[in-house]
Amino acid sequence: MSHNGKRLLKVEGLVKKFGGFRALNGVSIDVCEKRIVGLAGPNGSGKTTLINVISGVYKPDGGSVEFDGKSIYRSPSHKIVHSGVNRTFQIPRPLAGLTVWDNVRLAAVYGCCEADKREIIRKALEIVQLDGLKDFISGGLTFAQQKLLGLATALATRPRLLLVDEIAAGLSHQELDWIAQMLLRISQTGVAMIVVEHHLGFIDTLTSDVVVMNAGANLFRGSIHEAAQNEEVVEVFLGR
Amino acid sequence: MLKKIFPSLGVVLVVVAMFLGLPSIYSNQSFLFNLMLYLALAEGLNIIYGFTGYLPFGYVGFFGAGAYGSAIAVTLLHISPLWGVLWGGVAAVLIGIILIPLLRLSGAYFAIANLAASQALYYVVSNPALEKITQGPYGIDLSSVYNANAAYYALLGVLVFAMVLVAFIRNSDFGLCLLAIKEDRVTASLAGVNIVRARSIAWMLSAFVAGLCGAVFGWYSAVFYPSTVFSLDVSVFTIVFVLFGGIGTLAGPLAGALILYSMYNFIGISTPQYFQLFYGLLIIALVLFLPDGIASILRKGKVYVP
Repeated sequence: MSHNGKRLLKVEGLVKKFGGFRALNGVSIDVCEKRIVGLAGPNGSGKTTLINVISGVYKPDGGSVEFDGKSIYRSPSHKIVHSGVNRTFQIPRPLAGLTVWDNVRLAAVYGCCEADKREIIRKALEIVQLDGLKDFISGGLTFAQQKLLGLATALATRPRLLLVDEIAAGLSHQELDWIAQMLLRISQTGVAMIVVEHHLGFIDTLTSDVVVMNAGANLFRGSIHEAAQNEEVVEVFLGR
Repeated sequence: MLKKIFPSLGVVLVVVAMFLGLPSIYSNQSFLFNLMLYLALAEGLNIIYGFTGYLPFGYVGFFGAGAYGSAIAVTLLHISPLWGVLWGGVAAVLIGIILIPLLRLSGAYFAIANLAASQALYYVVSNPALEKITQGPYGIDLSSVYNANAAYYALLGVLVFAMVLVAFIRNSDFGLCLLAIKEDRVTASLAGVNIVRARSIAWMLSAFVAGLCGAVFGWYSAVFYPSTVFSLDVSVFTIVFVLFGGIGTLAGPLAGALILYSMYNFIGISTPQYFQLFYGLLIIALVLFLPDGIASILRKGKVYVP
């Protein structure tokens, strides 16, 4: 199931050290074109670190990262973005002093090579339904709206792979459903995703292909239901 | 977008008309020259500080590099002083290129490292061992090419260049990308911005303006010493003017320099010791209570500040 279509992202044996601590200790993951891979695991298992390393926010200390056949290992973020990868943040970090429109405009102008910037900005805001707030200063948006703005900004760079880091954390049940539907619609336009999430029900509505991480390495790959039967997975989530 | 260019154009025209007209009403050309000098320096500092948030306490280093770069070109290579001004700008950009690695620092660390760099440059230039090139501590004599009127209008040209540059940056995508770097470097780079390149360009443009200013200042002064053109007062004055007026705008730094430099001349000359006290208190008050300067008061009243 995980090897349908062309392989877009290939991460092998990735290592990231913070001092003596190996936050990533040889994790491997691959994502095929237009597919959604769920990424689960207990706190501190290295999910967000993996997203940070793939997107160039952190520099890795070993292993390899290939996107579309080319190495993006230790590339600067803007080059990774130009090659077609983008991400959202667990804790949103908008350009707080700028308007919603300018936040997305920056991404459309510098991150995307298509000519009609206005159309790209308009579409990205429409997908996340922030088009009514385009002249607002983004620092004044709610937490949930800032997360959506982060998603719109990432979309405006026209990624082929989107790394979604805990977009559901802190949202209500209705919002969860609504965001899951939004991510599915984005996926149908041909965008592959890695979706990091604590909320396993949320992952289940998106994909049956889940990677479980523990202690900086991958532990399991399969569906949520298979994961629930797996002794090792149950152990890292619930303890022995 | 186009709507916003007209106010900027208006500001530029008013300033030009002012400095073309004032010499026939007010005979103290030296005051007008220095005022213009600080207006141009304020806009130059605004490019790096106002848009990217890097506070260069050693900004005077570029000013001094410009003064010496052009003076050396004029005295040793026998270039005309007007072309020498351009050489001053180029000399400052070269120093800027050498200092680009400093941009890896941030906040106070950058400000202090830049201050140290300008002092290092000062001691190199004033070193008696370099007497054949820089005249060491004995100063430069340009009295053979002295022409106060020509230097005055050359500086007006530099000021127009600085204002147009800031107006362009403020209304362009490049300005947006610099503001993004100031807000959050990670978010900016994930929008696809090449941060190292963008901030280096801003840094060199800012250095170029200061270099041009230093060059014209040297020409106008005819005789100057390393201690004059590397004086920290130049950095401090410029920073206070920009902070007072409002960073990241075209009109803010102009207003700041105009108001405070005039005050300095009318109060400060007679009782300089009180004036320094006043300036120190003003910096503290601005940083604490009005970090975006007087422009932010207008902006609160929904007035667009060009």
